[in-house]
Amino acid sequence: MSTSVSVYVLRRVLSMLLMLLLLSLIVFLLFNVLPGDPARLTCGKACTPEIIEANRHRLGLDMPVIAQYWEFLKGLFVGRTYAANSPDPVQCSAPCLGYSFKRHAEVSQLIKDGLPCTMWLALGSFIIWMVVGIGLGVYTALRRGRWQDKSVLGVALIGYSLPSFFIGILAMFFIVIKWHLLPYPRYVPPTEDLSKFLQTMILPWIVLAILYAAFYIRLTRSQMLETLNEDYIRTARSKGLPDRTVIRKHALRAGLTPIVTSAGLDLAGLLGGAVFIEAIFSLPGIGSLALGSVTDSDLPVIVGVTLVAAVFVIVANLVVDVLYAVIDPRVRPS
Amino acid sequence: MSLTATDAPIGDDVDLTEKTVEVAGRSLWQITWGRLRRDRTAMLCVWIMGFFIVLAIFAPLINHLVGVDPYTPDSSAISDNAGQPYGPWAGASRQHPLGVEWGTGRDIFAQLVNGLRISLLIAFAATVAAVAIGTVVGIISGYLGGRTDAFIGRIIDVMLSFPSILLLLALIPVLDDRFSQIGLEGNAARVLAIILVLAVFGWPYLARIVRGQVLSLREREFVESAVAMGSSTTRILFKEILPNLWAPLLVYATNLLPGYIAAEAGLSFFGIGILPPETTFGSMLGNSLSYFLLEPSYLFIPGTVLAILVVAINLLGDSVRDALDPRAGRN
Amino acid sequence: MGKTRTRIGLVAVAAAGALLLAACGGSSADPGTSGAPTAGPVAKKGGTIYYLTNADQFQTLDPQVSYTGEDLAFFNSTLFRTLNAYKFSPDAKEGTSVVPDMATDTGTASDGGKTWTWTLKDGLTFQDGSPIACKDVAYGVSRVFADDVIVGGPTYAIQFLDIPSDADGSSAYKGPYKKTGQALFDKAVACSADGKTITFHLKLAVPDFNYTVTLLAFSPVPAALDTGEKYSNAPVSSGPYMVKTYQTGKGGKLLLVRNPKWNQTSDDYRKALPDTWEVDFGLDTKVIDQRIIQSTGADSTAIGLSLEPESLPIVFVSPTEAQPQYTGRALSTLDPYVSYWAFNMVKMPNLKVRQAIAVALDRNALRKNAGGDYAGDFGDGVIKPNMGIDYAPTGLWDTLLGKPIPPTGDPDYAKQLITESGAGPVTFTFDYAQSPTGDKAAALIVSSLARAGITAKPNPIEPGQYYGIVFDPAKSHEMMKAGWGPDWPNASTIIPPLFTMNGGFDLSQYDDKAFNAEVLAASTEPDRAKQATMWQNLNKEAVAKMLVLPTIFGREQRMAGDKVSSIYIWPAYGSWPYAEMGVIS
Repeated sequence: MSTSVSVYVLRRVLSMLLMLLLLSLIVFLLFNVLPGDPARLTCGKACTPEIIEANRHRLGLDMPVIAQYWEFLKGLFVGRTYAANSPDPVQCSAPCLGYSFKRHAEVSQLIKDGLPCTMWLALGSFIIWMVVGIGLGVYTALRRGRWQDKSVLGVALIGYSLPSFFIGILAMFFIVIKWHLLPYPRYVPPTEDLSKFLQTMILPWIVLAILYAAFYIRLTRSQMLETLNEDYIRTARSKGLPDRTVIRKHALRAGLTPIVTSAGLDLAGLLGGAVFIEAIFSLPGIGSLALGSVTDSDLPVIVGVTLVAAVFVIVANLVVDVLYAVIDPRVRPS
Repeated sequence: MSLTATDAPIGDDVDLTEKTVEVAGRSLWQITWGRLRRDRTAMLCVWIMGFFIVLAIFAPLINHLVGVDPYTPDSSAISDNAGQPYGPWAGASRQHPLGVEWGTGRDIFAQLVNGLRISLLIAFAATVAAVAIGTVVGIISGYLGGRTDAFIGRIIDVMLSFPSILLLLALIPVLDDRFSQIGLEGNAARVLAIILVLAVFGWPYLARIVRGQVLSLREREFVESAVAMGSSTTRILFKEILPNLWAPLLVYATNLLPGYIAAEAGLSFFGIGILPPETTFGSMLGNSLSYFLLEPSYLFIPGTVLAILVVAINLLGDSVRDALDPRAGRN
Repeated sequence: MGKTRTRIGLVAVAAAGALLLAACGGSSADPGTSGAPTAGPVAKKGGTIYYLTNADQFQTLDPQVSYTGEDLAFFNSTLFRTLNAYKFSPDAKEGTSVVPDMATDTGTASDGGKTWTWTLKDGLTFQDGSPIACKDVAYGVSRVFADDVIVGGPTYAIQFLDIPSDADGSSAYKGPYKKTGQALFDKAVACSADGKTITFHLKLAVPDFNYTVTLLAFSPVPAALDTGEKYSNAPVSSGPYMVKTYQTGKGGKLLLVRNPKWNQTSDDYRKALPDTWEVDFGLDTKVIDQRIIQSTGADSTAIGLSLEPESLPIVFVSPTEAQPQYTGRALSTLDPYVSYWAFNMVKMPNLKVRQAIAVALDRNALRKNAGGDYAGDFGDGVIKPNMGIDYAPTGLWDTLLGKPIPPTGDPDYAKQLITESGAGPVTFTFDYAQSPTGDKAAALIVSSLARAGITAKPNPIEPGQYYGIVFDPAKSHEMMKAGWGPDWPNASTIIPPLFTMNGGFDLSQYDDKAFNAEVLAASTEPDRAKQATMWQNLNKEAVAKMLVLPTIFGREQRMAGDKVSSIYIWPAYGSWPYAEMGVIS
């Protein structure tokens, strides 16, 4: 039993590594072959043909693409040196995701700086949407067809339909600017000033949670309805067990698996940065970093963030799959 | 984030193929339509959507009838001081039913109708493209199986793990640049780039659903008998399998469409969508924030229209799903 | 010299599409300054001033790369000392005069202006406590020559210092990293034995070299602590503050705290009132405006840059008068910049066609879109009235185009010009930095030119990449938006950069032998009054040939929180007078 689990896990990890390789290649090609001229894009304001050529050399863009990819891969494991022959070489230590000549910093450092903020954002809204989503999902399932069900579903539909940037902007302009209910968001780590942290994060948490909560209400509700129809639940209910017990002990537990799966993946997706929300609320996270690098055409940062975000999702996928395999032997392939 | 509808709760809980086959006499389409006809919310949504589509198709004509156009500035409607429109509600008048734009005096109603046309064009085109790609790839993957299936499955995995919003933002200017190198310029290039990028990130999820459906169809008797009778692969794919897929496709499309409308708004909002002098929901919303405290109508007019449109399509999507599969729905 | 990138390293301001640059207001008094500096409560030491900005980061913190007016003013006030600096004063004349900073006087010229000497004050130190000597100033200047590492700063040092050029036109000195030609540099910038006196040997007479050394490119850098490319994120301070944290991007900030080694007795130039400066990056411009207007909590000690056009009716009664509740902290003044559309002379060689575009343009609508009376007056050239004696009306809109052109344009006359040009139907593309206001302006250009049968296609460019693209001849189109401000009050920092090939900002790609000769004559003319007349004529010639289409002589509106002192525009840079500002308790 346990050997087959570990064989499965091993196989999944191997295939994940393969996928990461494929992914990095795609990202790399996408941004290095498809666009016009990455050297020009890195050059920015003070741009002359000489600077473009100098940058091309500094970034190693004058090498063939495959050689560049190889350098990039090598950099991930052993680090690399940009502009080794120039009077002022730039060191980028492993794991080197690249070096931003625009921000004069290693991409991995920039991502490390942005990660805590993004993590807090994701975690906070995750808690809100899970509590609200599952809570209201169960509630509406039990009140199926009644007005409570319909009104919650209606609100959820609106929350689900409206673009999150739009909700974010409404929240920012009404709650902060017009009504002064909260101070302007100014991110500080929770370890530094907890109340300031909460005041800054509460709106982005809620705005981000609205979209996901709407989705989880619908998901939980449909899961509940399905399990409530199962024979064993009906039996339990007809035996006179109190609803509360039936729901908690049986119905919810049985319907939980798909909810947990999707929750894990959603959380992982958010760790790659919530671009619009971070931008609107001026949060110094990965999403802001990404948006800034897109508007600046800061290629190394775009590639780095894309990769790291994708890695989160892939790893989350793996974790979810492995957990399944451990819990439920049927999932394991022969 | 609702930029793409890939996280939409569909597919997994919809298994429609069984009924498709079992119902004899009346086609599934007739049954579904019959159910929708009885659903008042659904019919309201159909009407709303129809209204907006007509508005979009006949936008130039409608603007002509109202006597406005989205491009011509009207200096007489705005002040010299800061380009502020005269009068409340952004200077709404008989001449300009929804007022004029700050700084230029262009007509808001005309911009809205014109923007609706562009938004719907992009959203529909991207939806059609995504569904087409997803269907073809899904059928190939599911029917051929084996290595092809495994390879496509990996590609889909990779596509789904990309941060799609970031790539949307990053790739559109890049594609735009590419198009301009082959002589396609201006809004034609921009619209095509948006459609392409949206479609590229919309198909993988659908392909996965279609693959699943095809896998189960392949084992069914009518397909097996077709194979036994020596029908060609193409014939089996298009005559036997494709007609049985339209239900999940329809559900997916109604889910994708509002997501794409919102996505286009988001792109234009952040300044990498449509080019001037054209305007869409997103650029109007982006512009409105500047005047938020002085003139809220800039925010509310496009905001409300966008909300109604998107909610209506989503609601209709729900109704279609319920009509196709009453068991999973809310009745 | 052959360095053509002299002044390209500038920041495109998304909203205004203007270039910010070290600039001087000139001598004519500006009638439209509202909220003149108030004699209200005096600021004490302490507190934090918040500098709210839409930018995601400073273009650079490297003193040798810094070249944006606002940045020069801010960093000169906080981090980097220079030999000379501009006097703090709201007065246009006084505020552009030089005073000594690290030096004991404003410098001594000899050899007809080819040799300049300064003596350093006592007690100057870097933030690590090491003394600042002549060699540190010299080392700082030498970094400018390493143009493969230090990219985008002003290159006056390369143009002026007496160091020979290589065959390809670049300097024989390659900077302190390669050290090629180090002896040549050490001869041109000589230190006395006690390290107190610095002497610059120039290859030509530069009568206003005492202005040149106000640039941060002439500030000291300790050789031992130079980190090259990465110096930009952690420079060594010689001023009253030092960098504590620097995180770029949205939500990022630059935090400057007191430099304990800075010695007030060696620095009578800076007041250094607040304990900390916090620059908050990546904020929405509308949000910045709202916060400063409301001025509650920490925002009462916040400052911002240009107000958005839509905030103006809230803050001002008229372009010259603030609403009563904002008097004293809201400013509206002529800024140093001229905004214009440059015509690409290579792609648009037909004069009549260029004139037709100028004639057809609805300048009135464009000005309204930019903020109407708040945006400024119609421009008639690249030299602005507040440049003083170098300005004279060019008569562009009255006579130069053949007949008076109304601000709303004259489509019929434009059609006539096109017929005369023999060019057939006119279709062209124009580049501009993308922004909501810019998009609306683009729409106005399209519609107003269409009246004359001209097809204009807008090409919005990401603001961060704007100048990178329009300076690439392969990428730029027929017409492009630009803005320019002078480096000091002499049109020698306007006409040559804009209209000669090695001036560094020749978007028009104009290279005319006769014109170049006239420019050279004006540049070297010793008689200032004569020189002024020559600049006036060149300015007129430039618009008569329609090298550029001037749009607006810009005004700028700014605002600060209600607990900030010394609220005025410092004419030297058209910026806040940072070193004077403090928190009123």
